[in-house]
Amino acid sequence: MPDTFIDIQEVCFAYPAAADTPEAAAQSEQSFYEAESAYAVDHISLSIKRGEHLAILGRNGSGKSTLARLINGLELPTSGAVWVDGKSTAAEQDIWEIRRSCGMIFQNPDNQIVATTVEEDVAFGPENLGVKQPKLGQAVSQALAYVGLSDYAHAAPSELSGGQKQKLAIAGILAMQPACLIMDEATSMLDPLSRQTIMQLVRRLQQERGLTIINITHDMNEAVQADRVAVMQQGRLLMEGSPAQVFHQVETLRRLGLDVPVHTAIPFYLGQRFDLGFSSGSLATPEAAEQQLKQAFQFQAQPQTAAVSPAQPARARALDQIKVEDISYVYQAGLPTAKRALEHISFTVSPGEFFGVMGHSGSGKSTLIQHLNGLLRLQSGAVHILDYNLRQVKDIRQLRQHIQLLFQYPEHQLFAETVWDDIAFGPRRMGFSETVITENVKAAARVVGVDQSWLQRSPFELSGGEKRRVALAGILAMKPEILVLDEPAAGLDPAGREEILNYMRILSKAGTTIVLVSHNMDDLARLCDRILVLDHGQRLLLGTPAEIFAHQELIAAGKLTLPACKAFLQRFQADCPGLNADCFSVDAAVAELERFVTLKPAARARVRQQQELQERRGGTAL
Amino acid sequence: MTFTLGNYYPAASLLHKLDPRTKILASLLLMIVLFMINQPLPLAVFGLFLAVMIALSGVPFRLVLKSVKPVVFLAVFAWVLNVFTTPDEHYWFSWSFLHASPQGFWVGLRMAVRLFFLVMATQLCLTLTTTPLEMADGIERLLRPLARWGFPSHELAMMMSIALRFVPTLADETDKIMKAQSSRGADYDTGGAIARARGLVSVLIPLFVSALKRADELATAMEARCYRGGEGRTRLHVLRFGTRDGWAALSLTLVLAVLLVLEYTHL
Repeated sequence: MPDTFIDIQEVCFAYPAAADTPEAAAQSEQSFYEAESAYAVDHISLSIKRGEHLAILGRNGSGKSTLARLINGLELPTSGAVWVDGKSTAAEQDIWEIRRSCGMIFQNPDNQIVATTVEEDVAFGPENLGVKQPKLGQAVSQALAYVGLSDYAHAAPSELSGGQKQKLAIAGILAMQPACLIMDEATSMLDPLSRQTIMQLVRRLQQERGLTIINITHDMNEAVQADRVAVMQQGRLLMEGSPAQVFHQVETLRRLGLDVPVHTAIPFYLGQRFDLGFSSGSLATPEAAEQQLKQAFQFQAQPQTAAVSPAQPARARALDQIKVEDISYVYQAGLPTAKRALEHISFTVSPGEFFGVMGHSGSGKSTLIQHLNGLLRLQSGAVHILDYNLRQVKDIRQLRQHIQLLFQYPEHQLFAETVWDDIAFGPRRMGFSETVITENVKAAARVVGVDQSWLQRSPFELSGGEKRRVALAGILAMKPEILVLDEPAAGLDPAGREEILNYMRILSKAGTTIVLVSHNMDDLARLCDRILVLDHGQRLLLGTPAEIFAHQELIAAGKLTLPACKAFLQRFQADCPGLNADCFSVDAAVAELERFVTLKPAARARVRQQQELQERRGGTAL
Repeated sequence: MTFTLGNYYPAASLLHKLDPRTKILASLLLMIVLFMINQPLPLAVFGLFLAVMIALSGVPFRLVLKSVKPVVFLAVFAWVLNVFTTPDEHYWFSWSFLHASPQGFWVGLRMAVRLFFLVMATQLCLTLTTTPLEMADGIERLLRPLARWGFPSHELAMMMSIALRFVPTLADETDKIMKAQSSRGADYDTGGAIARARGLVSVLIPLFVSALKRADELATAMEARCYRGGEGRTRLHVLRFGTRDGWAALSLTLVLAVLLVLEYTHL
């Protein structure tokens, strides 16, 4: 019996003057100055059924986290009311019951673990509720067993991986016997594999325990798994409906800076070229989308174009800028805890190349890139960067002028009083002259869109995405020939991610050699000339994206994930021989498919109908 | 990254299994008694008792000795000072205003021995055989009666436990930030004092900023999990005195009694 579990009625919420609640700015990822102006949540009404899985999509700063905090009473509405299971969050006597029944998991796995052992952390919630032994112990061990962490009961949280930490957080909620689980971007700091396991766990909770799930996310792969999707923008509820309906609004979502599943986007844009619209919700799954396309279009064979040759021969011949020869690395060598991180890795990167390094967590990616600028000492093998032999470099700082490394979440390294000083820190340390520094800082700020007016502000007043750009500028200001980036887009929303990746593209065009480390196969396939795939410290593959993703056996074994565009195009390969499925962006895929299709007569009639309808409305397509 | 705090030696000995409160109180008592005894015989008996405790703890003797290292200088210094400052009837030798007195030699030696014993006993009872978490628990329970007079024993214990929880996390973070800043050219160990200090600032500021952010997020997460202070809170693991604690207390009392008798009856 689906009844309403959470009822949000005309809720508005404004953070009190941003100055005395720094969290307001930080939490909503909104910049300090913007946060003051508007309501964080603006007249939202939404009811959520018991046992429903609702995804709330929106850019950073759209107010979705605030909405979540309103639901379990961490914030109280400025006006309007939130009812959870018939209780108002504003009623003081019910607040603990509401928080017990609506458990919440947060973005950063580390910052929600309280206790020093796994088991005691799970017990934290029930302890607060005053649950007595032996019920307390039972609740803890059941919760741990449910998420599959029983073996770690006595381990320290620092021994767990990111995915395991989020499982621990879920167990901590489960031990309180909740009715609802709110996830506040809970997977955004995890790698794709851990994301999948967390989402599987969450779906199991919905099915087996009937938990209501509210997943706040900007990952559309998660949103499509929900029963219902709500889209938020600037504190308002913009759209609401089934995933199929919502994602059909391809252009609106893109304008909002959100992603759309590839299997919806490709047919949508392909249809657009022929003025054909698909009915709302008809492109929900890859299967449905395939069927829709095959109904509308006639496929015919075309001669194969010489596949867009990805390896630029001119580049391949030039002198190598990075030459890694047979390096291995062991952490804590000689101790029983020794861990082999890299084994016999060799590769070269030529000038101007866009080189990708791919691998799951623990594959040795970070260890590898720390070798490139001498942060880790070579244990065996050799590394040559430009003219430097890493074993013989006297002043490592000279080398680091030419090869710069941007770590994950680089916004954490900002420290100076002003944005200007922070960007200038590197060049100053490198001993550049003041005029060169001024020039470089300005140029770097321009490249990554750091506004001139920010330069004299404190970096800590900026939003998360802005800080990241400042950190990137701080690296670029040293004018490195080689740029090594570790997951530069991690944790950003789709538009922010696209923006950062776009800077990479611009830099690459300008001739900078780029080494991009990521576990996002779609991004790497789209951007890189060549990709090195690492697996447990070993080199699995090295080649162009087309070569890499031709390895069906590795895809089947789960070592690689097929980029979504290629996976979708492969559905049409039987119908159109000669179709080049090695397209890794929506645009490329649409262009490729367009060569093979003509409208079927029935579809042509439909297009005519749609056009007539539009003309009768006066030609406005709104 | 695994990270060990203090010098806890993991084992399952009798001493490890004792309730932390027993161990805290025992080390306090041992400390007091050590200040009261000064005769060679009780000191020797104390040494014997310490040897038995080391044997019972399963901690290698080498580790116990290592724990004394930090006070070696202090002990030797005090000893030398005693040798040259204690007045006596005759001196071994004199040099300018310094007079080496035999009595000072013995006084100093006993003082050094007591200092060593003190460190060894507390290390053995506490850091070597008790995890920091057990310590925090034990201290909370011991201080709990003071809560009646407004002493924040629960908050103190929660603070200790959270600090322990975040030590490895912040250690990791420090490492990361240091690496990031040194690829930007920061320097921590070469160059002048100013350059080094600047390098350190570039690490400390981000570290503090991140710690504050973590604190804020952790507080929210705790509140979301219904934390509202110590009142009405139950515990998963409740400290309980066992029979072995009783035996330990009894034997300790006996030993202490013997020591005091030996000290004050001048046998």
